[in-house]
Amino acid sequence: MASLTAQQRKDLIEELPRLKRFCLSLTSDPADADDLLQITVERLLEKGMPKDAHVAKWSHRVCRNLWIDEIRSRDVRSRYAQSESVIEGAGTTSATTDESLQLDRVSAAMERLPPEQRAALVQVAVEGCSYAEAAALLEVPIGTIMSRVARARKALAEDLEWSAEREA
Amino acid sequence: MMSDDRQNVVDMDGTRVDDDHLLSMYVDNELDAERTIALVSRLRNEPRLRARLEVMEANDQRVRKLFVEAVNPVPQHLIPMVASENVSVLRATRRWQRWASVAVAASFATALALVVDVSQTDVFNPMSMDPQLARALEESPSRATGWDILDDDRQFRSVLTFPAADGRWCREFLLIQGESHWRGVACRDSGEWVNQVVGSEVFLEQETQYRPAGAGDSEQVARFIDETATDVALGPQQEATLIASGW
Repeated sequence: MASLTAQQRKDLIEELPRLKRFCLSLTSDPADADDLLQITVERLLEKGMPKDAHVAKWSHRVCRNLWIDEIRSRDVRSRYAQSESVIEGAGTTSATTDESLQLDRVSAAMERLPPEQRAALVQVAVEGCSYAEAAALLEVPIGTIMSRVARARKALAEDLEWSAEREA
Repeated sequence: MMSDDRQNVVDMDGTRVDDDHLLSMYVDNELDAERTIALVSRLRNEPRLRARLEVMEANDQRVRKLFVEAVNPVPQHLIPMVASENVSVLRATRRWQRWASVAVAASFATALALVVDVSQTDVFNPMSMDPQLARALEESPSRATGWDILDDDRQFRSVLTFPAADGRWCREFLLIQGESHWRGVACRDSGEWVNQVVGSEVFLEQETQYRPAGAGDSEQVARFIDETATDVALGPQQEATLIASGW
């Protein structure tokens, strides 16, 4: 497999913002997301991709596989013990308005979602993918995307309702 | 692979679809016409169902805002890294220790004919530091193309700036003096720029691109950077801030 073609490099640059969001949807941590994006790009530059590869799908697959490798190497129990932390950069230091407070709550609730639900929800609700597109990208059946997105929304609604009641 | 939840897959014919799934599919425009009509009818008559839909849509908006607006953007150094056809690998110290990092090594490929480790004082050092070169290292931003002209007509280009393991800032640079072309790395030590490794290069022009004459030779400067750098090369803005602050 050769290095990236000029067109693939161009496509990859255009894909980077979306890939960054995908990294965040997987990791729920901005620093981890930056690291994951970095190593994904490095891997793509080092290994290249087939000439006829779909850059978005290929890069997302590489990214996901690298994250899976990473979480396998981590102590899963300690990772999930940090459930009180929230996604940084979402206004955690300036929760002075109702909206920023809501964003803080959403950030925390998103982090509490199972990673596979979070990734599916981001692909559909943030990236605007159809279920078929998200299924192709995440390499799961369409029905699984339907289920994960619906359960993610239900969990978010319940979590946010509970958070609001607790803080009221 | 991620954990599989196929036991919870929603049936495509809708027989096992509960209201949460229906609303979710409605929000995503994934319901067929028949079920859309039925759900819209229910939404008109069931305030609780309608309220649930509104909550779902509001939460979706917040998630979009969280990911699109509030999230830090793509690190700037990644874009030139992807755009460049010539990259070299630097060792990085980061939270994910097993990861290596990549920095843009040069805007064009060159062939390194000779590398001199100036820490060995007995060897001839064609790149002894002088005030003009030091000033260029101190003030010139890294660039992919073009040259700075020094007072003695030498041409200088900084290629990249990176942090060394011992806390110093280092810069890879190119220098043209007459017919001689040099590539080197200098590090800033107690306010003074000191060459660490330098080498003459042969630029072989082929069509409009410079091509390497021997990839193995060019690895020696890359190896020095590999052993010295602790993180990726700085992005343009980070480097500009560093230069403006006097390092």
